[in-house]
Amino acid sequence: MTSRVAGRSGKQAGFERAAAPAGGTAQSRNRAGYGLVGPGLVYLLVFFVLPVFTLLATSLYVKPPGAEVGQFVPALEFGNYAVVLGGYWPELLRSFGFALLATVLCLVIGYPMAYLIAVRLRGRALVQGLLLVLLIAPFFTSFVLRTQAWKQILADEGFLVQALKTLHLMPQGASLTATSVAVVAGLTYNFLPFMVLPIYANLQALDHRLLEAGRDLYGSDLAVFRTVTLPISVPGVLAGTLLTFIPASGDFVNAAILGNNRNTTMIGQVIDSKFMRVLDYPGAAALSFILMVAILVLVTLYVRRFGTRDLV
Amino acid sequence: MGHLPATTSPESAPETVLAGPGQQPAGDRSAPGGAELVLHRVRKQFADFTAVQATDLTVRAGEFFALLGPSGCGKTTTLRMVAGLETPTGGSIRIGGRDVTSLPSYRRPVNTVFQSYALFPHMTVRENVAFGPRRRRVRDWKARTEDFLRLVELHHLADRRPAQLSGGQQQRVALARALVNQPEILLLDEPLGALDMKLRRQMQSELKRIQAEVGLTFVHVTHDQEEAMSMADRMAVMNEGRIEQIGRPEDLYHLPRTAFVANFLGRSNLMAGTVTGGGGGTGPLFEVDASGHRLAVHRDRAVSSTGEVLVGVRPEKIHLRPAGAGADGATAGGGVNRVTGAVTDVAFTGVSTEYRVEVPGLGELGVFAQNRGEDLMRPGDAVGLSWDPAHAFGLDGRQDAAAGDEAV
Repeated sequence: MTSRVAGRSGKQAGFERAAAPAGGTAQSRNRAGYGLVGPGLVYLLVFFVLPVFTLLATSLYVKPPGAEVGQFVPALEFGNYAVVLGGYWPELLRSFGFALLATVLCLVIGYPMAYLIAVRLRGRALVQGLLLVLLIAPFFTSFVLRTQAWKQILADEGFLVQALKTLHLMPQGASLTATSVAVVAGLTYNFLPFMVLPIYANLQALDHRLLEAGRDLYGSDLAVFRTVTLPISVPGVLAGTLLTFIPASGDFVNAAILGNNRNTTMIGQVIDSKFMRVLDYPGAAALSFILMVAILVLVTLYVRRFGTRDLV
Repeated sequence: MGHLPATTSPESAPETVLAGPGQQPAGDRSAPGGAELVLHRVRKQFADFTAVQATDLTVRAGEFFALLGPSGCGKTTTLRMVAGLETPTGGSIRIGGRDVTSLPSYRRPVNTVFQSYALFPHMTVRENVAFGPRRRRVRDWKARTEDFLRLVELHHLADRRPAQLSGGQQQRVALARALVNQPEILLLDEPLGALDMKLRRQMQSELKRIQAEVGLTFVHVTHDQEEAMSMADRMAVMNEGRIEQIGRPEDLYHLPRTAFVANFLGRSNLMAGTVTGGGGGTGPLFEVDASGHRLAVHRDRAVSSTGEVLVGVRPEKIHLRPAGAGADGATAGGGVNRVTGAVTDVAFTGVSTEYRVEVPGLGELGVFAQNRGEDLMRPGDAVGLSWDPAHAFGLDGRQDAAAGDEAV
């Protein structure tokens, strides 16, 4: 009888194959598909691919002898990369370090938030909606303004530092303003929704019956979370960490507002000042390119390690 | 044995032992007989409606029990309360004599085959089956998992993900995942609902075979009366949060005690009438006057033998003959249980022919006639109908005669 069952499913598979091409030829559908992605492709070509090549070209320019500030000529000077890498590798490393810390903090803070809204409050649409609005509401005020506000929160005479000092969790002479702690705190705060929303979207789609099945199969709440909820939410976590880490590692606003110029400088600040103030275009372009490639490599390794084919 | 899986390759044949407990491979699949399930005054009240009214129910150890009813009748809620996925508003649940009412689902000796299977999509078939034994830290969980994968004939697909399996195969994974824990009671929530008819029939006999082999108590929830009747040792018919009747399928079919059961389980002709002579006689039969027709009912086949009653008879129990022909098969004499009418509809289904016959005063009656080569009647033909009082049943006349007619 097994063979009969196998024969049946074989036939069904044949059915599906036969049914698939029905309704318009594959060719005409392909053409329609290209038509739909066309505008997007053109947009990407003009505003992404071309600029990337311009950036690459600029990064190889040289300053001719006796030229004015900001004046460069086309060349193939790969030495630019060695120069900026030699000069700014600490800022590059620090950027990734800060971004990593902020990402981990966002995950630790954001996952429970997403879990609460999507799983624990399932079926209570009003509370869910309210919490989501609260999560996104700060975005209605300016990024810079919110970051400035963190200066006040972390100020020496502020409530937080006073409380920490009273509780002897912070030495009396210490300060949070203009420290790496402040920068990471700012990054964490500003990128938190980018972590919460993808995880929320993922958990929202989690089939509740799987949790019941887990409990039915002798899993305690903790065991079910560990073996069912968490593994199934990996794609959401993956998306959230990428959406947090990538912009955080290139960010310069948080470090500029909440940091100092000694040990909190991030690579984004360096690029910003090279482009806007020092007018070292090839250096800035080279750094941008290095940052881009480094992120690409890190992300690829990360996705290879944690992303599974059928979950991403 | 008419069991479903029989392997094709000779080398794996010894593993697919499905014949009996004596020939089992590694491990022992049979649990010690399953446990008795007792519901005492169990009820469930949701915010705005009562899903299950105070219910008493005893499922015997090792029994294949079916909970049958239309959707929304409370059968799934009842099952979920046994599983511990729903907390009863009142009453107690005992499994094998132990009160489990307040135990969380993961501490109950019960496993469920869910309607949607609820297989873990991120795990392989093997990991799905091993889930329960691993949570309980069963020492030989690996061997046991393999054993039950073989029981459901899926060991060759053990490394696939559920999404890569057909519906029938997913169903078997769900079954193995529950059975591997050797629960005292296995709960099945419409487990065959998503399968096509043919696969459904196969899985029905497969389930029966597995139940016989593992010897567990099975509680099977379904809205398919044929499925319930063909599989269950005993069954309960539920309606609007109440159990209408409990018993063996054939008993429920032959002697329904409510209009709902009479209509939901198969089909019935229910005729309203009044008991004549007060029904106070001492004989085994009493008579009912239904719009001038004299109908006889056995006293012990009637819920009520006074006042208003509903007299029921199954369509296949009615003899149909051309009007004026001699009575055949009707044992009651003197025009009792004999009516005449006109055929209004004829549906030839092969094995039998389904007639609708308009009888003045009684309305339209359904008659199933076996096809033994006689000529079919035609619409408009005058016919005589008769039936043995031993096949009629009496119900309380205060019920809606159409209850359960449309419900599925």
